[in-house]
Amino acid sequence: MQIDTALLVGVMFAISTYLLLQRSFIRILFGFIIFSNAGNLFILSMSGAPKDRNMPIVKDGVTQYVDPLPQSLVLTAIVIGFGLAVYLIMLLYRIILDSRTIDIEKMFKPEEGDE
Amino acid sequence: MNNLVIWPFVLPVITALVCLFGGRVALWRRWVVACSAVAQVALAFYLQAQTVGGTPLVQVLGGWSAHLGVALVIDGLAAIMLCLSTLVALACILYSFFELDVEHGHPLRLPLTQLLVAGINLSFITGDLFNMFVAFEIMLVASYALLTLEANDRHIKEAFPYLIVNIFGSTIFLISAGMAYAVFGTLNLAQISERAAQMEGSFAVALVAVMLMVVFGIKAGVFPLYYWLPNSYPILPYSLAALYSGMLTKVGIYVLLRMLCTVFPHSLDRVHIVLGWLAGFTMVLAVLGAISRNFVRGILSFHIASQIGYMLLAIGLFTPLAIAACIFYVIHHIIVKSSLFLIGGIAFFRNGTDHLERMGGLWKAAPVLGVLFMLQAFSLAGIPPLSGFWGKFTIVAESLRAEQYWLAIAALLASILTMVSMMKIWLQAFWRPSVSSVPLENTHTLTTASIVGMTGIVGVMVAMSLFIGLNAETFLQVSTHAADALLDPTIYRSAVLSIIGKGGAP
Repeated sequence: MQIDTALLVGVMFAISTYLLLQRSFIRILFGFIIFSNAGNLFILSMSGAPKDRNMPIVKDGVTQYVDPLPQSLVLTAIVIGFGLAVYLIMLLYRIILDSRTIDIEKMFKPEEGDE
Repeated sequence: MNNLVIWPFVLPVITALVCLFGGRVALWRRWVVACSAVAQVALAFYLQAQTVGGTPLVQVLGGWSAHLGVALVIDGLAAIMLCLSTLVALACILYSFFELDVEHGHPLRLPLTQLLVAGINLSFITGDLFNMFVAFEIMLVASYALLTLEANDRHIKEAFPYLIVNIFGSTIFLISAGMAYAVFGTLNLAQISERAAQMEGSFAVALVAVMLMVVFGIKAGVFPLYYWLPNSYPILPYSLAALYSGMLTKVGIYVLLRMLCTVFPHSLDRVHIVLGWLAGFTMVLAVLGAISRNFVRGILSFHIASQIGYMLLAIGLFTPLAIAACIFYVIHHIIVKSSLFLIGGIAFFRNGTDHLERMGGLWKAAPVLGVLFMLQAFSLAGIPPLSGFWGKFTIVAESLRAEQYWLAIAALLASILTMVSMMKIWLQAFWRPSVSSVPLENTHTLTTASIVGMTGIVGVMVAMSLFIGLNAETFLQVSTHAADALLDPTIYRSAVLSIIGKGGAP
């Protein structure tokens, strides 16, 4: 079970790194979203395999619980990640309106009269 | 009494909310923010006075014990940083009132500035790794918003690298917090320090330390991770650029100090050596970048990265005296750097441009400004008896004592080159006769009263830096106390873990 999670996180990191290195910034956006989700999954996997363990709500006769802390951390991190994604999308929308391109290289090409 | 600990965070948040929802009268909003900024300074100095005895102030939120809940800790270093951040914020807020008329100021600027201050303050007082992530996010989201708030079409694309690099850094921070939880089983800094001390020499501890070093290296602007910094800061208005340059990178330095001195065991020799060498490269390469730039904000922005190198070198040397010198240098640098940006702002409003080839004649038009600039430039380059000298002197002396001759040479070379790049601004903007008949970027001229007010604020900051330089003994003593407390994790640990609330002892 842990091996699967580790592989999944690894593949997600690989895909997001590939996307973050692209020229089109729509792809960079998706790279970022996958990257933050890979990070969240990584933290979640820190609570260990949930096998034979119960959800973290106290009940009589249950002794084995899943560690609740990583789950609450991930909740916070997901909310922050959403906020950042929304901000990034708005910024990219503004840049697309301003410079009429989705290509990083064209965007940073020096214009006439630039210092 | 200890309930005051959370107020450096809560006060700016309340102010921001009052500004956002408290009505549409811009002048009223300014009064609220100015009064709150003064109150924050007073609070920070009160807390500083409380920590002089050496015992950190601890508040456990919700009354839970530190290992279950969130603990906020103010020790000597955190109190010093709080004083500095609130002082610089006050200066920048007052400056921005003169910079823009009441009707022209963007309504979101003041609330966002307060949120930025709240994030900065929370990252100084938090005693918990995940809470530190949240504090960083509050600070960074406010800084993203301020960066793009008033940017024009050409400038806004420079915000993109800033955003991507910092978001990347934040995610790595999240991952390293997760790793720290897996390795130590806790996120509380005091408990991590207790458990890391038992695991001394293990690979996992070094791995977490290196991960965190990369994260805060990005925030602090360390070679090779600083390239986003000098391009994005120049797009800010001057008052905000001063706040950013003073505080944001120093948050990275503060956390590095906290992590390497208090939290992780002191035996991470290799990490320290790597840090020292990265510092050497940062100093020299960034100052070369400053010389290559041709506008005031660009030169000053590159200097931030270069000066960060000195502080990192001090952390890398890792002797008690070097850590004290690092804290002293942070005190000096925050005041001097922000006031240089503010001086650059006045020069911009007088000349209508900040491009060096089109500036000139400032010495004749504004001799007071020239004197202030010269004092701060000399201080930045490290000419005795100004404040920059003492920090640099101690750091270079310590690196000679540690037999790191190359790093000492790099430090000296960087300060000579700093002088060269400052002379560049001096010669072209102040000394040369003014160049007329050029198109100006800025047609918005200020009244004489505003210029006098802005110069007055800068004058107070210059006086503060002169005071630091002339009373170096006192300030070095304060830094030494803070450094001693920082280097002795048992004080921090016992202060945090001795508080028993709900949930019992760990």
